[in-house]
Amino acid sequence: MTPVLAVSFDALTSAGFWIGVGVLAGTYAIFTLGLQLNVGFTGIINFGQAGFMAIGAYAMGILVVRAGWSLWAALPAATAIATAAGVLLGLPSLRLRADYFAIVTIAFAEIVRYVAQNARGLTGGNQGLLGFDDEWLDLSDRILGWLPASVQDQFLLPLLIVVWIAVALLTGLLMLLQRSPWGRVLRAIREDEDAARALGKNVLAYKLQSIALAAALGAIAGYFLALNLSFLSPESFEPQFTFIGFTILILGGLASYVGVALGSVIIWTLLEATRFVDLPLAAEKVAALRFVIVGVALIVLVAFRPQGIVGKREEMVLRD
Amino acid sequence: MTDELLRVAGVVKRFGGVRAVDGASFGVRDRSITALIGPNGAGKTTLFNVVTGFARADGGTVVYDDREVSGRPAHAIARCGMVRTFQITKALAAMPVLDNMTLAAPRQPGEHLVGVIARPRAARRRERAVRARARELLARYGLERKADDYAGTLSGGQRKLLELARALMAEPRMVLLDEPMAGVNPALAAKLLEHVHALRDQEGTTFLLIEHDMEVVMGHSDRVVCMAQGRVIAAGEPEAVRSDPRVIDAYLGGGAER
Amino acid sequence: MAGPADSALAPARRERSRGAGAAVARLTGGGRGPLAATTALVAALALALVVGYGLHDVAQRAVNGLVSGSYFALGAVGLTLVYGTLRLVNFAHGDLLTFGAYMAFMANVTWGLPLAVAALFALVATAALGVLSERVMWRPMRGRGAGLLQLLLMTLGLAFVIRYGIQMIWGTLPRRLDVDVTASIGFLGLRIGRTELIVVIVGFVVLIAIGVMLRRSSLGRQMRALSDDMSLAEATGIDTDRVVVATWVFAAGLAGLAGVLYTAAIGTMTPNLGFFLLLSLFAAVILGGIGNAYGALAGGLLLGLAQEWSTLLFDPRWKVAVGFAILIAVLIVRPQGLFGRRERTL
Repeated sequence: MTPVLAVSFDALTSAGFWIGVGVLAGTYAIFTLGLQLNVGFTGIINFGQAGFMAIGAYAMGILVVRAGWSLWAALPAATAIATAAGVLLGLPSLRLRADYFAIVTIAFAEIVRYVAQNARGLTGGNQGLLGFDDEWLDLSDRILGWLPASVQDQFLLPLLIVVWIAVALLTGLLMLLQRSPWGRVLRAIREDEDAARALGKNVLAYKLQSIALAAALGAIAGYFLALNLSFLSPESFEPQFTFIGFTILILGGLASYVGVALGSVIIWTLLEATRFVDLPLAAEKVAALRFVIVGVALIVLVAFRPQGIVGKREEMVLRD
Repeated sequence: MTDELLRVAGVVKRFGGVRAVDGASFGVRDRSITALIGPNGAGKTTLFNVVTGFARADGGTVVYDDREVSGRPAHAIARCGMVRTFQITKALAAMPVLDNMTLAAPRQPGEHLVGVIARPRAARRRERAVRARARELLARYGLERKADDYAGTLSGGQRKLLELARALMAEPRMVLLDEPMAGVNPALAAKLLEHVHALRDQEGTTFLLIEHDMEVVMGHSDRVVCMAQGRVIAAGEPEAVRSDPRVIDAYLGGGAER
Repeated sequence: MAGPADSALAPARRERSRGAGAAVARLTGGGRGPLAATTALVAALALALVVGYGLHDVAQRAVNGLVSGSYFALGAVGLTLVYGTLRLVNFAHGDLLTFGAYMAFMANVTWGLPLAVAALFALVATAALGVLSERVMWRPMRGRGAGLLQLLLMTLGLAFVIRYGIQMIWGTLPRRLDVDVTASIGFLGLRIGRTELIVVIVGFVVLIAIGVMLRRSSLGRQMRALSDDMSLAEATGIDTDRVVVATWVFAAGLAGLAGVLYTAAIGTMTPNLGFFLLLSLFAAVILGGIGNAYGALAGGLLLGLAQEWSTLLFDPRWKVAVGFAILIAVLIVRPQGLFGRRERTL
């Protein structure tokens, strides 16, 4: 009797696999930190995070490849651009109800991806953008040189190290901010905007700051994505990635920054490990099956354990 | 006129086809306790919302401290020293009682990103002072033991006290209380009124309360304003308003009579 | 203070007033002003375009716009019905269109049934899916007092399950229905595909039927009462569960049909069909005023028209962007859309 399900364990024990998972997990941890700030701590439903990721990544790529900037100068500039985009998006739309705002953010993300696909001269369209990471590759080689000889064939290792340093720094920064009076105002806004207003807090300004910061975090995640692939294409910014971000968010637990990193590692381990399950199905169908499973997982999580691993149940209810 | 802290003139507020407030005008003297009465549906809470910036008037003006505040956003009006409470208390249940209090304090550099990053020492100093004052106020209102508990664990009466204490953290010049005695036992109600009087006498705080309980109104307010069907039908000394035939009519004809 | 009490009774009372103007005003939920303004604007726009590009081009594109407007309207009405009744923004709605299209594919191509039968099958199957989602997901969650975020995430989850489920079974390569996309009919110097004409006819017939149902049948009245104020409707003895199920039957059925018509008009289907259309459907719904079925109808038609006329000015590649632009513009300038109520948006 032939086995219906065969898992290729060799792949799972290779260092390369785990480093790959680690880079993806780190990238999407940063992505989801932005979502946590918005959803878990400010109470705004941002379904457009992939759009900010795209703006950051493409701005960086375009500045380097088309305008000849140095990567190190392009990174802060692109972050500023993404942050500005967040403010521009938020100014007219944050006064809308939460579900309307969600629609606007999804539309925004799709517009960005659409522009990336069609403004071929600038973004390379579906063919993509290459060649922005030469300076990173040089740095990466040097870092690799500092590491023990046994791991020097793992060329993604420097990126893994850098991304997780970034995750640690950003998580720490966000947790610090959250403990400050500023963070307290955000929590009040999430719980009851009118109460916050009655106490003299400019709710719109705080929401704008929240979106701006989330945009910056999305952009940073975008850089790691770009450097991982050495290639930028609109495909990387499809809505399923925001969706994966939300799955991570719920799994880790709302209102927990540490939960984000945990959730991201779990989700990406699952997503990448399922690549190696041999099913009697064509490759693209296995890919589809992975997403069906993630979809079901999100539905079940949200219905039965909305607080995720680390969160508290009260955090889940978002009043509109 | 000049000792009036608040003047409402011809305020109109429509919802769909209905005029919830239909040309209301009255004044509130500085350092006084004024009661706003009237049957249910008279437009009192709507007027509160307009005055405090939670609703936009369709007509008329609101002048506070000699400045026109009509149309200004709620948070800006609160920052000017006009603080309100809500009919259904808005204690932030998922936050500790102490946080509810410290949130209300004005002038906190730590509440702004710039302050957090550029002035951390000043922010920390202010935070310490704010916490101390919060605990002091909580003690004055008998809530100090609950300081670190979630506000959601407070009883209804305790939440009313918290709302008042929190309003005071904001260092207000004028406090608008929306039915502060509703659902509160008599002993607690008496305490609340004591506090209100003490604040008026010692700090010079002005109060405008929406209230249904006639004893409270008669025994504790300097002035009474009566609304019915969106308009002010009588205003003056408590006894005069109470015996005004239009007021008696409004209560008998419309809402509940106490 | 007036409010819910009036509006629950209003649907019955409104039948009284007479006159074409009043009838039109009733049709749009009292939006006589916006309807007149919109018609005037569209007429003015048409005139300006004719002057710039000639009557033939403008008219031909208007015909094309009518075709796409038909399936936009069908999809949008379903989306707005669910929002109106349940206050749920259903991000899975687009995938109901995809589901309908693939159900029709299965019936028409795999089983060899004629297209009309296949379309009916698709409609019924999608309606069943809608009711299933209500029974298994939405009703239990409502019972538990689920918050907004939970519900939105579940609609997203469902969207992915449907889309990738379809991809799992049928793959990503475009599929075709067994229709003749080449035959076309000419009239007054304009061309319309024969299939496209059928799309328009079917679309309009169904939309009119729905409109009549909403306005005249007791079920329609109950749906509108629920849409105005659910707790009040319950208090007046309406069987809300039954009405909610009926809403899903119509909304999902319309979506399934819209998916079939879209594929018939365009020629191919892919698993992404629904999500691709979803944003245009949101644009149509929001343009018309969310929660207002007639608004969605108008919004769908206007969107189709706007998209096609935009090809006179821009490269057809950017056609879809017109929907996005309308969506954002409406939300910024007039969030209640043409016929909606402002209180619902803030």
